[in-house]
Order: sequence, then C-alpha cells, then structure tokens
Amino acid sequence: MADDGSAKENEGDKKIVHTYPLVKHSDMIEEMKTDCIELSITACEKFAANYEMAAKTIKDAMDKKFGTFWHVIVGEGFGFEVSYETKNLLYLFFGGNLAVVIWKCS
Amino acid sequence: MNKRKRRPKSSDKVPEQEWLMRAQKQSRTNLIDGKESVGSDDDWAKSRQLIRPDDQLDLTENDLSEEIKKVLSTENPNVPKNLVIYSFKEGSFVEMPPPPNIVTLFQFDGTSLHLDSDEAKKQIEEMGDDYQPPVDSEPEDAVNEIAPPPKPEGGDDDGEGAEDAEADEDEPAAAAAVETPAAAKTGGKKRLKLINQFNYCERAAITYNNPSRNVDTQTIPPPRSSFASNVKQWVIYDSYALDFEQNQKDKEKDKKHVVSKKDSKKKADSAQASHELNKKYLQCWQILERMINQNIFDDIAQDYRYYEDPSDEFREEEGTLLPLWKFSYEKTKKMHITDMCFNTLYYDLFAVCYGSLDFLRQQAEGGVCLFTIKNPSFPDYRITTESGVMCCDIHPKYPYLLVIGMYDGNVAVYNLQTNPSQPLYVSKGVNCKHSDVIWEMKWGPDMPDGEINFYSVSADGRVFNWVLMQNKLSVTTIITLYLDKEHIGNPDGTDIQLKACGTCMIFHPKQPEIFLVGTEEGLIYNDPLFIFDLGASVGDVKWAPYSSTVLAAVTTEGKVYVFDINVNKYKAICVQQVVPRKSVKLTCIAFNQKLPFIIVGDDKGMTTSLKLSPNLRLKVKPPKKQQNVDQDVLQLQKLEKLLSLVRELPDDEELEKEAATTVAS
Repeated sequence: MADDGSAKENEGDKKIVHTYPLVKHSDMIEEMKTDCIELSITACEKFAANYEMAAKTIKDAMDKKFGTFWHVIVGEGFGFEVSYETKNLLYLFFGGNLAVVIWKCS
Repeated sequence: MNKRKRRPKSSDKVPEQEWLMRAQKQSRTNLIDGKESVGSDDDWAKSRQLIRPDDQLDLTENDLSEEIKKVLSTENPNVPKNLVIYSFKEGSFVEMPPPPNIVTLFQFDGTSLHLDSDEAKKQIEEMGDDYQPPVDSEPEDAVNEIAPPPKPEGGDDDGEGAEDAEADEDEPAAAAAVETPAAAKTGGKKRLKLINQFNYCERAAITYNNPSRNVDTQTIPPPRSSFASNVKQWVIYDSYALDFEQNQKDKEKDKKHVVSKKDSKKKADSAQASHELNKKYLQCWQILERMINQNIFDDIAQDYRYYEDPSDEFREEEGTLLPLWKFSYEKTKKMHITDMCFNTLYYDLFAVCYGSLDFLRQQAEGGVCLFTIKNPSFPDYRITTESGVMCCDIHPKYPYLLVIGMYDGNVAVYNLQTNPSQPLYVSKGVNCKHSDVIWEMKWGPDMPDGEINFYSVSADGRVFNWVLMQNKLSVTTIITLYLDKEHIGNPDGTDIQLKACGTCMIFHPKQPEIFLVGTEEGLIYNDPLFIFDLGASVGDVKWAPYSSTVLAAVTTEGKVYVFDINVNKYKAICVQQVVPRKSVKLTCIAFNQKLPFIIVGDDKGMTTSLKLSPNLRLKVKPPKKQQNVDQDVLQLQKLEKLLSLVRELPDDEELEKEAATTVAS
C-alpha cells in the first residue's frame, strides 16, 4: 500500500515537479557546459516572466565569458535551425516548460 | 749695378730685392774690414782672406763711395706694349688693352669670401636673421703672405748705421706700398668666413629603401555544424519524463550494485583480470630484458661457463678469482650490504640485504634486492623497508619465502611469488619483536603439524622461534642467553642479569632440534685451532659448501682471501683485490651452493660475483680401496685428520660442533 501511495505521488509529481535543468543536446566541453547551465538557470530564475531579458542576460554573460557572438533563444515553443561553431551549442530544458538554445557563431 | 737698379719690381718681390741689396752692402763692408785688419793681426787675417770672383770690377774708392739711387716702380718692363688682335667684326687688327702689370707667382683658391664682396652680401641677405658673424678675427691668408719678413739681425753690421738707416728707410716705404690695399680690404673689422658656392661641397649619402611587400594568410575557419529542432511543450514534457525514468533506473542499478555481491565480484574479477594481464606483460618484458642482458654480457657468460684458469695446472696449491658480473641497484647504492643469501632451488638467484653497518649513523630505510645472474642490470625483486635490513634467509623447501631481520628488531616474511612489495607477515608490537639488532635468521624445519617456522637471534640475547600461522606471526622465546657473571645492582635496588649478545646461529645438519648460538662475548672453542692474520679487519668469513677445509674471507681493504687448510695451513691459496682498496670496504661473502662462484658485497651497495679457479675447488680424491665412498664422508675424514694434527683428540661433543659448522655451511 505504501508503495502504491508513493508511486501515485510520483506520478502526480511528474507533471509539475520536473524543473531541474535537462540538457537535451550539447557538444560543449564539460567545463563550459556546467558554466553555461549555471548562468542560464540564474538568468531564467531571475527573469522568470521576461524571456527577452533572460536571453539578453545569458547572451551578455556568455559573450563576456567565452568570447563574442553568442546567440540565445529562450522560449516555450519555437522551431530553429542554426549553424554554429562546433563544440559551442547547448540545448537545454528548464523549469518544465522552458527551452533555452545557446550557440556561438561569429 | 745699373741694370739691377732699373729692374722692375712687383709688389711681391719687394722683400727679395731688399735682401739682395743688403747682401751686397755687407760684402762690401767685409772687404773693407779685411783690408784694414791685414797689418794688425797676421795669424787670423789669413784665414779671413776673401775670395773674389775673377770678373769682379775693380772700383776705385770714389766709385765705391758713390751713392746709387734706386727707383722702384710698379711697371713691368717685359709686358708687351702693343699687342693686337684680329677683329673679324671690323676686318682689321685692333689694339688689345695692355695686359696688367701683375705677375702671378702663387695662386690658391680659398673657400672663403670677402665680407664686403657682392657675393658675400648676397649670401648674408639670403641667410637673413640666421646669420651670425663669426667671432674669429684671424687675418686672411693673403695678408699673412704679404706681411714683411722679420728684420735681419743687426749684429753683423757694426758701425754701419748710416747704410742700415738707409735700408730701413726703403723698407717701410715698400712695405707701406704693399700693405695699403690689404689694409683697405680688411677695413679693421671682424670678417666672416663665408661659403664659396662655386667651390663648396656638401656631403650626403642616400641609402636604398627596403621594398615593401604584402603578405597575407588565410586561416581555416573554425568548423561549423548545424542543429535543428522544434520546441513544443509536449517535447519538453516527454524529454523530462524519459530522463526521469532513466534516472530512476540508474538509481535502482546503483542500489543493486551496492547490495549484490555479484556485481562487486564482477568488478573484482575485471580488476584481477587486468592485474593478470599486467603480470603477463611484465613477464614478457622481463624475458626481453634478460635476453638483452645475455646479449650484452655474453662474454662474461661465456667466461663463467667455460673459462678455467689454465695457469692453475702449473701452479700448485694456488688459484685465482675471475671477476664476473657486478650487481647494483640505483636506490640502494649508498647502503652497505649486510648479508647475502643464495636461493636453494633457483641457484642463480640470490638475495642481498641493504642496511648500514655504521651503527651511529643508521639510514632511514633499508632494502632487499633479489638478483639473478641471468639479469645483472636490474634486480628481479625489490623490497624496501623502513629500517636497515641486517640478515635474511630463504626457505630451503619453499624457495619463494624470504624472511628478513631488521636493525630495529622487527622481522618480516615476504612471499616473492605473490607480492614482493608487501610483507606476508610482519612482527608487530613491542613485545613481539627483538629489542636489538637481529643478527641472524634461519628457517627451521617444519613443525610436526606442517607449520612453517623460523628462528632469529638478536643482540638482545634472546632466540625467538616464529611460527607462520594462518593470519599472524606467533612468537615464542626459545632461550635467553644470560652471562655466567654475577648480577649487577641497579640504582633502584633490583638486580640485573647480564645478557649475552647473540650474533650467529647454526643448526645441526642431521638433528634439527640442536643448534649452536654464537655470542659477542666469546668463542665456541676455548682454544683457536688456526689463526690467520690478514692485516685488515675482516668483513665476513664463510665455509665453502663443497669442501670441509676451504673457507673464504673478505677484508675492509677490498681483498678476498681463500684458504684451504688441507693444502696450506699458514697461507691463503688465493688473495685477490676485487674492489678499489681505498674507497670500498668488503662487508660480506657467500658461496653458491652448486656453482663454482662466490659473491662479495661491499659498503657501496655493489655486489661482485667471482668465479673460483679449479685449484680453489679441488675435491678429495677417494682412495683406491674405497672408490665408492661418499664425498661427504671423505670431507669429514679429511677434516678429522687435519684436526687430529692440531690438537689432542677432542671429546665427542666438540667434534660434533665442528662437523656442524663445516658441513652445514
């Protein structure tokens, strides 16, 4: 019984609780990836209601940290096809309903 | 004279003219002098007789006193006066203007300009404000040249003041005539040196300019990739769901991992497999190393195998030692070799103990290296310990068991087969070890129930028996060597019984429960049988395994002595210097049990192997009557015979001791 209850809870949780950052696709080196995830989370949490601001913040931070010409998309639904400098792409889900694409192309 | 008078003079010639006139006057005065002085002084007057030229005019007194006037004019009488030139314009000859009365004697083009000249003025104008008159007021060269020459000395013409005065009158007149134009030129002002633009050279050089060139390269652009995807809420949801599921599974797996032994076993198996693989690789490398070494040291190997000193045939009773390989290990180079021990089964393998024999300066570590003569360059097994190793023994039955005794009283047993880096057993605690240096260790015969055990004798006066139990080392005291002397009173009132320092031990070869212990305090024998003086302190002495009467000793002077008491009781049959005498001390020696060579260790961590020449390993020839007698018995007989010569027949007990030391060694 107890097991069943927890399982149900888990099922219920699934729809709401998955807010952890989930890297869908990335070819960055590990160090860069962790940095990148870190600052996207901060930006998205800070500007939870303003995706434009969030994207701008992430871009600025990335530009400063890893050189210029970073491009960032933050949004709930969009399609994209980008050319990027290899090893400079991160496709990240966050907060259960948010997708963040970060890539570099100079 | 008249001619001369009228001769025209250029202004430049004036001084010369004056000179001439003066000379003439002087000659005249000299003449007069001569005439006057003839009567008065004959002797020197003769020498002053003047020579006159033949064509000299004879002038009367009147003529001579006549005054002659000279007029100087600036006209040049040689200048042609009526030069004509044909004029094509007029079709007739026309008169040329008379040439100037100037004779150029010397011309020098200066680079200076006269300040007042038109050219100079123009230049000054051009230079404008920049112009600064030079301070230098040196007169021009031309003026210098014209300047009157210094006056001739007045000393010669004594009493001829009248004529002198006359000449002086002329001189300034002429000089004045010349100087006036010059004075006009100088104008008494400071003059400037100006550049003559026609005779002036400015120096400059022009160099080539390096040609400019354009160089450009193009780099390969950083690689690019493209990526495309669609973001929809359901995509995000699905990804999360999938990831979560995956995570959950992983967690479960991890749990299983921890709980189930199977998994861990698998891991261990894989680790072991890799270990096995490494071992195999190591073996391959070792074989390769041996092959290379055998190649390198092929000549030594050949010598070792086949070279028998041919001179031995001609020398009776004497032999030589042939140096073979040298063994050393980089990390133990600074340590002393304290003990050496041959393996009983693999007789090419031997253990070398490294420690320090300088007891006041013990090193922080010791070690044991097992070398094989098949690979002289590197030890097969290496063991490092925290204290200096003083002795070792290899088990005769289990040749992979090595026991070592250390300076700090600890013992350790190593299994070379499984893990030579970690001891299989090691003594622990204060009570389970010797309290002083362990001097000798010997593997004992197995216990009745098959337990492996060994004995150790230490300077603390005790003999321990160590038994290798399942997982520990059990120790029992066999004997404590007390001295027979009376007890010594301690300051706190208790009595202390003095202990002897055990230094060596040996088992009876046939009765394993009997063994002898040697101590620092005395000898086993009360009366020494033989005394050899080697002239230096002895590092080690060993009996040869093949003969009861052969023993070898090493000294600190680096010499090896081999004695055969049966051959010569007073002299060594071989004395050989094997290491440099000054720097290296030999510390120990060991005979190989089967092969005819010995190894000697020194205090530089170097082990040297030496081959014994045939004369050093003579065997006893069995008498004709007893051809089938065992060599051991023959050896025993030989020694007994020898001993009987030295002393009265010993009692049984002592004989047994004697036999024990010789045959067993």
